[in-house]
Amino acid sequence: MPELKFKGGNKLFGVMRILVIEDDAETAAYIVEGLSTGGHVADHVSDGRDGLMLATSGSYDALVLDRMLPGLDGLNLLKTLRSAGVKTPVLFLTARGGIDDRVEGLNAGGDDYLTKPFAFSELIARLSALGRRPPLAPVQTTFRVADLEMDLIARKVKRGGKSIDLQPREFRLLEYLLRNAGRVVTRTMLLEQVWEFHFDPKTKIVETHISRLRAKIDRGTDQDLIHTIRGSGYVLRASS
Amino acid sequence: MSFGHLPRALRTASFRLAIFYALLFAGSALILGSIVYWTVQTSLKRQMDERINAEIELLRQEFRSEGLQELIREIGERAAYFPVLDYLVVDDKGNRLAGNLPYMPSASGWTDIETEPRAPNPDAERSFHVRSVYLADGIRLAVGDDLEPLEAIERAFLEALGIALLAFLVLSLTGGFVLSMGFLRQVDDITHTAEAIIRGELTSRIPLRETNDNFDRLSRTLNRMLDRIQDLMESLSQVSNDIAHALRTPLGRLRHKLETARLQIRSSPQGLAAVDAAIEETDTILDTFSALLRIAQIEAGTRKAGLKPLDLSALFERVIEAYAAAAEEEGKTLKANVETGLSAVGDRELLVEMAANLLDNAIRHTPAGADIELSLVRKGKKLIASIADNGPGIPAEDRERVFRRFYRLERSASIPGTGLGLALVAAVAELHGIELGAEDNAPGLRIRMIFDAFEPDELRTSTGYVMAINPGARPL
Repeated sequence: MPELKFKGGNKLFGVMRILVIEDDAETAAYIVEGLSTGGHVADHVSDGRDGLMLATSGSYDALVLDRMLPGLDGLNLLKTLRSAGVKTPVLFLTARGGIDDRVEGLNAGGDDYLTKPFAFSELIARLSALGRRPPLAPVQTTFRVADLEMDLIARKVKRGGKSIDLQPREFRLLEYLLRNAGRVVTRTMLLEQVWEFHFDPKTKIVETHISRLRAKIDRGTDQDLIHTIRGSGYVLRASS
Repeated sequence: MSFGHLPRALRTASFRLAIFYALLFAGSALILGSIVYWTVQTSLKRQMDERINAEIELLRQEFRSEGLQELIREIGERAAYFPVLDYLVVDDKGNRLAGNLPYMPSASGWTDIETEPRAPNPDAERSFHVRSVYLADGIRLAVGDDLEPLEAIERAFLEALGIALLAFLVLSLTGGFVLSMGFLRQVDDITHTAEAIIRGELTSRIPLRETNDNFDRLSRTLNRMLDRIQDLMESLSQVSNDIAHALRTPLGRLRHKLETARLQIRSSPQGLAAVDAAIEETDTILDTFSALLRIAQIEAGTRKAGLKPLDLSALFERVIEAYAAAAEEEGKTLKANVETGLSAVGDRELLVEMAANLLDNAIRHTPAGADIELSLVRKGKKLIASIADNGPGIPAEDRERVFRRFYRLERSASIPGTGLGLALVAAVAELHGIELGAEDNAPGLRIRMIFDAFEPDELRTSTGYVMAINPGARPL
């Protein structure tokens, strides 16, 4: 399935080992198949207790965890896992679009949250962001991709040595893209991380800001750094 | 009748009832007392009259058979030995011949006379009930009785009646007050429970006194009703979850299948377009479900417990900042007129979503070139927020209805949307107690929201609140 190739971007960073704990066979198959196609290794269990055992013993890069499970529900599974000292990043899946569910999931030790149904591109983008999160990285304050530089402390951005003036929100947007350089970030991830909007606005907020940022970063250069991935989101990388 | 200035216990229905019955009983007692008084008085007077009549007949016969001297002697004797009645005999010139009545009434017949007012001791003033007759040759005889004992009985009777009435009023009003206090305590219990439930504490119940009186029975019945409501609310949220599972899961699978299909038919552009359109339709249905569930959850009021003081000015500025560029891109001008430092109590996420929904709405339903203004100003203890545009507006008769679910203006049919955006705004407003209204902006639409201002002074009363302001907010 070459269409899923954009996820191949993850191959730059290697293969992820993902544990999928999901009782709905069809959703699980969809996730596992998508992950395998993207070159990742995916294990699947449908029971909470089995999931807990595997998650504790196996060395996974990330967990995809359904909230409602037979045996042991997702929330309690995660609490048990965290109290046992397992720090594997966890992406919650739920069929409930509840407002409190996200907070509950994150408070229990979850790292991200996705409401069913979801586009696979959304899942893989979030998993990539989680799976590659360095556990104890020193706080990074400067970023560089090709000739684009950002200094968080001086709050300065330069392209090819030339200073670029950014609005505060454009700065945050670029910072997030740089932190995830080489990985696809979705529109929803940007809304959550840059604007703290946990809903879907009907106005093209992300698109407008990306196009303005692009105009400031890429216009007049021979190499575009901000790329649109159709049907998924955006990625900041030096063109190959 | 206004009870506004009275203490609360005196304003209750039971106390008013107590006053009403006290007055009613006092009135009846008064009527009964009057009848008894009148009956006693007439019968005493009649006895007095009969006594006097009998005496006059006796003396008249004495005079006829024995003569004037004998009469005078007889009267002297009676005054000396049986001082029950009082007498007077005068000759034709009016000279007193015998007796001790103060004077002879001018006309004969029944009359009441008094001792001379110039009597040295006014307390000694006496009144008499007197009958006078002509015996012969201008000689007149008067027999009277002292009215004092009769009046004393009357006075004693009136006094007793007055004391009884007073005691009755005091007792019934005190009783009414005590009753009202008990009544109020029980009503307060019910009020507190109801308020807790309105706040979202659905498990709250009215405390029972185990007296098994009417109030206890009422409380028990209300508690049973609350159990039932709680069951219904729980089954409603169960139904919501069931809908989420029963419909969203298969819809999700449908979407997955379409995504998979899309990968397998990439050689056919028409096929791809058709599948993309199907995915989009599926997403629209899923969006509608999500919005419905979200509104239902907000309306359930469980978020109410999480309301905290927040900087409303900063919140609005943040939303405006997010939308300004996008509005400009659509050829619309977004203006802000936000007073700084205004706080209100609310749920940050829901208020952001509410403001965003209103801006989405204003941007989507106005033609290019429109001006949209978001303002927030303080007016006394209220904060008035409004989002106004100079677009086509909403006809007066539709202005209330736009906040209903799935209500869309006919002319908006071509604009995509779930028809739930303003319903969500209304649900958020209801949860926060925000007064929400749609008005004519002449031309255009103005959505007005009235918040209760959160007074910064209140911050000092609770350090928890200071921490709660702007938790984890990033600089704009």
